[in-house]
Formats: sequence, structure tokens, C-alpha cells
Amino acid sequence: MAVMSVDLGGLPMKNPVTVASGTFAAGQEYADFVDVAKLGAVTTKGVSLHGWEGNDIPRIAETPSGMLNSIGLQNPGVEHLCAHEIPWLEGQGATIIVNVSGHSLEEYVAVIERLESAPVDAYEVNISCPNVDAGGMTFGCDCGQAGRVVSACRKATDRPLIVKLTPNVTDVTEIARAAEEAGADAISLINTLLGMAVDAKARKSVLARVVGGLSGPAVKPVALRMVWQCAKAVKLPILGMGGIASGEDAVEFMLAGATAVAVGTANFMNPRASLDVVEGIRAFCEAEGVEDVKELIGGLAC
Amino acid sequence: MGLEDHRAQVISNRHLFGPLYLMELTCPFVAANIMGGQFVHMEIPDREAHILRRPFSIFARDEEAETVEILYQVLGAGTEAMATWEPGSETRMIGCIGRGWEFPYSTERALIVGGGVGAAPLYLLAQDLMDADVETDVILGASTEGALVCRARYEEACGKMPACSTDDGTFGRAGFATVLLEEALSRASEEGRPYDYAAVCGPEPFMRACAKMLADAGVPTQVSLERRMACGIGACLSCVVETASGKRRACVDGPIFEAEDILWQ
Repeated sequence: MAVMSVDLGGLPMKNPVTVASGTFAAGQEYADFVDVAKLGAVTTKGVSLHGWEGNDIPRIAETPSGMLNSIGLQNPGVEHLCAHEIPWLEGQGATIIVNVSGHSLEEYVAVIERLESAPVDAYEVNISCPNVDAGGMTFGCDCGQAGRVVSACRKATDRPLIVKLTPNVTDVTEIARAAEEAGADAISLINTLLGMAVDAKARKSVLARVVGGLSGPAVKPVALRMVWQCAKAVKLPILGMGGIASGEDAVEFMLAGATAVAVGTANFMNPRASLDVVEGIRAFCEAEGVEDVKELIGGLAC
Repeated sequence: MGLEDHRAQVISNRHLFGPLYLMELTCPFVAANIMGGQFVHMEIPDREAHILRRPFSIFARDEEAETVEILYQVLGAGTEAMATWEPGSETRMIGCIGRGWEFPYSTERALIVGGGVGAAPLYLLAQDLMDADVETDVILGASTEGALVCRARYEEACGKMPACSTDDGTFGRAGFATVLLEEALSRASEEGRPYDYAAVCGPEPFMRACAKMLADAGVPTQVSLERRMACGIGACLSCVVETASGKRRACVDGPIFEAEDILWQ
């Protein structure tokens, strides 16, 4: 049996697989399908200080080999997370990554400060959501702003700090470097690609907010390319994601430089997808004679 | 009861009329456990370009035969693919999802109103009401005679012909089913035996109109709401419904809601 554990910037994971924020709530909805303790970590839906209402419906559209979403980070706020979701995850024995969102630098910090007394294992700072007007992606498209958010979060915690990057930039490596310089322990990418869908007969956009984030198998080549670029540009470990639906998909990301991977949209296709990916990586290692999954990281021959 | 991703096999898949099809599948767990108004989240296999599952309410079930029936309308890529499935085809369905119809034990006289393919999720409820010896009247509306595909099944379940309307007047009353609803409400009131439970499913503007008439008549009413869904199990927040108590998920907080709680858009 291959050694499956990895270390993501100070976060020990029993295997390299977590879930992509926003596709798994905080795990309870998937409890009939997935023993969350068997995942490398559970990454929770993005949480803000006092909760957000999210966007109008329609919030999703199926597109070729993928989907658009414009949920808009609907969440009930950090108190609710601390009172209901985190205790459940802790009770299940899960490793917990909380995705932290904010409309302002101060909000990110306040969310982390509230979580410091909760049994959270790491934070993923969301500076990349394309579906909110303030905060989110606006922080993640500018090196200066990204650096300021990460610095402020860094001062608020000693826990592993993962910074989630948007692909909707000219050069993702610049933002990755800014996050590294500001004290991030790891980066995660990619968040969704900004896109849109049109209903020709109705002459209307399909999504109420017109634009939304593209995810699913359609984005995998873009995600792989960006993980590979970032792996060359920074020393930080990378949590890779974008269209991963199988163990082999996950291995491809690790070869491109990811230390760990997240399963996102595939959870909607198959509620057991995250565990299937863990099993798929294990099977790949056994079939290929890989004794330690860490051997795969950055192992691309090109 | 816990959710599972069940294997299901197509037994028959028949074109009924226009875009309407009826598929019968073997799925023992769902056949034994589904409640009226609940749904399954069905995989559309071998369509790489179409990754999401599709939610379908169960029209009818036969626990002994371990089968369920799904009445569906071909609307897009998923249902177009389904229309081509041959007997023997296999798929998977997550079930049984959501809150079903719930009529009070004290119900004496119930009214079921189905618009178009909205007749399908109400059929198990009609059977449950009959099993509970509740006097039940059924109103079905459709675009044209051929689209009243559930008429005979309701007659079989309720022992009497449902009141029907068609938009083009080819069968029953010409016009929308709301006319029949208005008449049913007046008649029940004149008879001194008003309805004490109503269930409505159909296009949202139709449900909204029915809900208002039923509220004005003081009839407690439930509606079944349809939304685009991704996960189907409460995680993704794609399918939210505006209610008096905030945003609720159509998949697991519904799809059946109290009509009075809905903030119609």
C-alpha cells in the first residue's frame, strides 16, 4: 500500500484529497455517501462574518462538459459555522479547512479571529470568487490588494494559510508570488473561470447575474496549465483543482506540481466522487509501483 | 432515511404525446420508500458534455414489482437523451430526496390541482388520500386533449373522472384550470363542506394564481416547486426558493412547501 499522506504548507493530510469549497457545504449533506474522516480534509463553503444572501436565481447553467454557477457565496455567517458545522465535522474526525470570504480586508480578518478558538486545521482565503461585487475576485486580480489581504490574515493566525487564486488574470504567477511574499503557506487554484451562457430563443442570459464561474471537466486543461506555471514560480505547496473527477485526473495535477487536490463539480455528478478519487489515486500508485504518493508531486517529465 | 445512489434499469420508455414520455424503471428501494412529492436525482449516462444529474419526481410506484414510473417532458439535452433509452438501459438515481406532500390527519376533503406535467408529482398523493379515505377532487389542466396523459390513471385511483380543462378547448372546459378551481371552491362552499387541504403543481405562474385563490378561500395549500439543481442533496445552493423564513433549498427543504410561505417572484 502506497503512503498516501501529504503536508500542505503545515497542514498534515492523511491523503491528498479535499473537496472544493462550495461544492460540499460543510459535509453533512454528503454524510450518506462520504465518511468525511476518510478525506484528506473537508474544505467548507465560503463563510463571511454575518452571512450573505447570495444572488438571484437562476444561479446555475449546464454548459458543455461543465457548468456555470453564480451562487454568490450565500452563507449564514461564521457564528452559524462555529455552532453547527464545525462541531459536526470535529465529531466525525474530519480535518477541517475553512474557506474565508469577505467584502473587505477587515471582514476577512474578523472571520479568522472568530475561528481562532474553533477546532479548525487551516484556512483557505478566498480572494477569487467571481460572483460577488465587493471582495472576492476583486482582491485576487491585483498583486497589491492580494498581498494586503494575505498579510492581514497572516497576522491574525499561525494556522496554515492557503490562498485561493482566480484564473481570471493575465498572469496567475504574479498573484501567486504576491501571496507567497505576504506570508501564505500554500496556494489553491483554480477558482472558476468567468463565463456566461445565453438562451438564444429567449434572447436572455441563462444566469440571473448574467455572468458566472465555469467549472467541471471543461476547465481541467486550463487548471493544469496554471498549476504547472505556479509550481515553477513559487516554492509554496499547491492545492490543485479544476475538473478533477477521477484518480487519474488527480495524479495529473500532482505531476504538474500540486501537493494535494480538490474535487469540486464532480461531487454533483457523483456524490461519492471525492472518495472515488482517493481510491483512484491509491489504485494508480499500486498499478504504477509508486510507494509514496509524494513521489508524484512535480514529477512531470517535459 | 438515508440517501443512496441506487442502480435503476429501464423496463419501458414510451412516447405519450408531444414532448411527454413515460419511463418505467426497476429500482426496489425507491419503489418501496418514495413518498408522494419526493424526487430522485438521475444520472444521464454516457453524455460527457452533459455532466449534471436531472431531478424527477416519481409519478407512480409498484412496491411488489419493485418499479417506479417517471413522467417526463422533453425540454433539453438531458430529457432528449432519456427519450432514446431502450429497455435494459441502466442508470443511477439518488433517492428518496426531499420533503413530500403532508396532509393533516384531520383532512376530510382534499383538492388536487395539476397543470400540465405537474399532474405527475400529485398522483402518489391522490393514492395516499384515497387510502386514508379522504374525499378527494382532482382538477387537471393541459394545453390540449392529448396532453392530459394522467387522466385515466387519476380516474382509476380516485374512482371518478378528474375535472379537466384544455387551453384549446379540445377536451373538458376551454381555458385554464383556474376556472375549474374557482368553481370547485364555490361549490364546496355552497355544499357547506369546504376543502381543508389542497395540493398544487404546475408552471409557477399557475401555482401562484391557484395559491392566491385557495388562500382567499381559506384552504391550507401545499405546492411543489421546481428549480435548476446541481447536487440535488442540499449542498450547492443552486435551487433556492424565496420564503417568509428566508431562502430555502427546493431539493431538501422542499420540493413541497406551504403555499403561504412562498414569496412568489
